[in-house]
Amino acid sequence: MRPSAAVRLALAGTRTDALRVVLTTASGALATVVLLLAVTVLAIPTPGKPGDTSSDSWSRQYRLELLVEPGLRPGVVIALVLLAVPVLVLAGQCGRLGAPARDRRLAAIRMAGATPRQTAMLAATETGVATALGALLGLAGYLAGRVLLHRPDAEGRLLLPTDVPPPWPGIGVVCVGLPLLAMAVTVVLLRRVSFTPFGVVRRTRTRAPRPWPVVLVVAGFGLISLLQPLARWADRRHWTLPVPLFPILLFVAVLLAAVGVVVGTGSVSHAAGRILHRFARRPAALLAARRLMADPWSGSRTFAVLLVCVLFGAGAAAVRAWFASDFATSEEASRWMARAQGQPYVPRDTSFYFDSMDLVNGVVGVATALAAAGMLVAIVEGIVSRRRAYASLVATGVPRGTLARAILWQTFAPVVPAVLVALVAGAALPRGIAGESRAGGGSTQYCVGDWDLCQDPNSPNLRTLEVPTFAHTIPVPFADLAVVGVGALAAVLLVVGAGLLVLRSATSVDELRSA
Amino acid sequence: MILQARGLVRSYGATPALRGVTLGLAEGEILAVTGPSGCGKSTLIHCLAGILRPDAGEVLYLGQRVDTLSEAARSKLRRGAFGVLFQFGQLVAELTAAENVALPLMLAGTGRREARTAALSWLERLGVAELADQRPGEVSGGQQQRVALARALVTEPRVLFADEPTGALDTLAGEQVLGHLVRLAREQGTTVVLVTHEPRIAGYADRELTLRDGVIDATGMGLTDKAVGA
Ligand SMILES: Nc1ncnc2c1ncn2[C@@H]1O[C@H](COP(=O)(O)OP(=O)(O)OP(=O)(O)O)[C@@H](O)[C@H]1O
Ligand SMILES: [Mg+2]
Repeated sequence: MRPSAAVRLALAGTRTDALRVVLTTASGALATVVLLLAVTVLAIPTPGKPGDTSSDSWSRQYRLELLVEPGLRPGVVIALVLLAVPVLVLAGQCGRLGAPARDRRLAAIRMAGATPRQTAMLAATETGVATALGALLGLAGYLAGRVLLHRPDAEGRLLLPTDVPPPWPGIGVVCVGLPLLAMAVTVVLLRRVSFTPFGVVRRTRTRAPRPWPVVLVVAGFGLISLLQPLARWADRRHWTLPVPLFPILLFVAVLLAAVGVVVGTGSVSHAAGRILHRFARRPAALLAARRLMADPWSGSRTFAVLLVCVLFGAGAAAVRAWFASDFATSEEASRWMARAQGQPYVPRDTSFYFDSMDLVNGVVGVATALAAAGMLVAIVEGIVSRRRAYASLVATGVPRGTLARAILWQTFAPVVPAVLVALVAGAALPRGIAGESRAGGGSTQYCVGDWDLCQDPNSPNLRTLEVPTFAHTIPVPFADLAVVGVGALAAVLLVVGAGLLVLRSATSVDELRSA
Repeated sequence: MILQARGLVRSYGATPALRGVTLGLAEGEILAVTGPSGCGKSTLIHCLAGILRPDAGEVLYLGQRVDTLSEAARSKLRRGAFGVLFQFGQLVAELTAAENVALPLMLAGTGRREARTAALSWLERLGVAELADQRPGEVSGGQQQRVALARALVTEPRVLFADEPTGALDTLAGEQVLGHLVRLAREQGTTVVLVTHEPRIAGYADRELTLRDGVIDATGMGLTDKAVGA
């Protein structure tokens, strides 16, 4: 087959195919913008001597403290790269839109004598071309944004690093790498589908999903719960643990839990289906239960992103509570000391920490919206691909309301318990490190009057102050956790509601005549 | 007359599918509707079963208008008094055969256990009891149609609408399904509207009616009448 023929065949599709290509392009553009932003943040030049971490190395031209300090920028980059993940998952979900029709088209192409490798290449070409187009659009948007958003405020400070010249090598990597990555993912996903000349054979997993993701989550928690004993143990032996050990262990623990949650969505759906099946009394619940058991993986990728969002959202709420409690406790201690020393108390500015948490919340919110969009695509796809069966059911007198309830059940049965688990996990992870905030304790020396009077260790002006220990249990941020959980469920509800709009057209009599 | 249609007209955009069809069915009668592809057979059966609304004309069930009923009321009629059987693809792929058959009963409010018992007995009567816990995708086309027939009959409808129920089957499997359909309909006294474009199958019916271009072909009428119900 000549390449020109391949491209023509790859692009010869229906309206759904066009929609899929448009959504793929849009997700590609969005991911490109996010990644280019990350590349730009990396490229912010550091003034001062290399290795200098003092305030000489700060880039004071920015409004956001996260951009000002070089030490904070890797965090920003990681957040941006993480934000690109849901965008790419959304692209992956969109890639399944209208895919059965495309699979049939590819099977027909196979029938006309193409090899399996050629049909896979056709699908990959479609994704690659669409993503490349998206990357170009994203690049254009990025370059336009650099100019349009370059508006210094009254103090000459910038919101975004629009003063950094475009880091072309990084831009090249993103714009070329993203389409290649998309193509590779398409090829991998298509390995589960084989286009024989007689049609499409989708290799589905018939085995129930294994429960080993639970092991990962438990391992994550186990690791976290080991951290404090480990620290105490090292303390008793007067060992200093290597500095990066704690953050690394924490990162591994969070990673284990997150991976467990992500790969566990299939198991969660399957288990929810099994339990629902046992207790189902009404047809809607029965339909939902069987559907969950038969295809626990449908939409599991976007579901996974939603859960990770909840995990991070809950974690951020817990960290915020920790910060707040810590600051309140140390403020209490400082106030006490200031009073004891007869000095005025100067409150500390902690807004930076809360601003950072706000940023995390913003990222989580955007990612949740993206996950919800992906779920919408999955729900619509699920309805549309079953339209023949749905139309027959409606024709035999099954009320559309029953089908709608089945879809609600099918969505919420796994989502509600999984969101709860993610909430608890997210909130518990930071608590594994610190359950209470402490300040004060021990003794401190202070000088009555000027320090000059206290140069002599025996000076009567030098006083010793026994500072009591201030300790508070860090409160569980129930209100914030409720906002995260209810927010996630509300997003899902909204999405199901929107998805159900296609139910009417998908169950029209016309569908009875299509195979 | 249990079911009557008067002057049914229905078109799809500019394409006329029915151009004035009048017919009546006596209680317990089996009527075969034949005719070439595209003559309007499916459209007719959909109008009679209240799945489609005719553009003009009326459909009466036990003297009551069906075509003017609300969507919800027609839907209720279809899951109660009517049974519907299509050519293929009507079983829910994820449910087992027994669950598929039990579904209409559960919709009517029967408990799950009771519905299953009833479903099993219908599968038994259709000779597919051993498939009760299989999914549609795991059984043959003929077996699927027997399960679908069990589902259509489990609510003991007074009228069964079957649109080419054997159209996707080979001769032998088709004969078996039809044999069951006719036998059970006679046992239950069910009225049947059976669409087919195979004249041979029409031989199972009490009466045959031929559609041509959306109207009843008068030349074909009455020729194969074997019995006409009261
Ligand atoms: N949704 C539709 N849109 C447009 N035209 C339609 C639609 N449904 C049916 N038609 C047309 O109406 C006419 C009657 O269709 P119908 O399906 O009732 O025929 P049929 O006798 O059942 O055919 P077959 O034996 O092939 O099933 C045909 O000409 C068909 O093309
Ligand atoms: Mg037809």
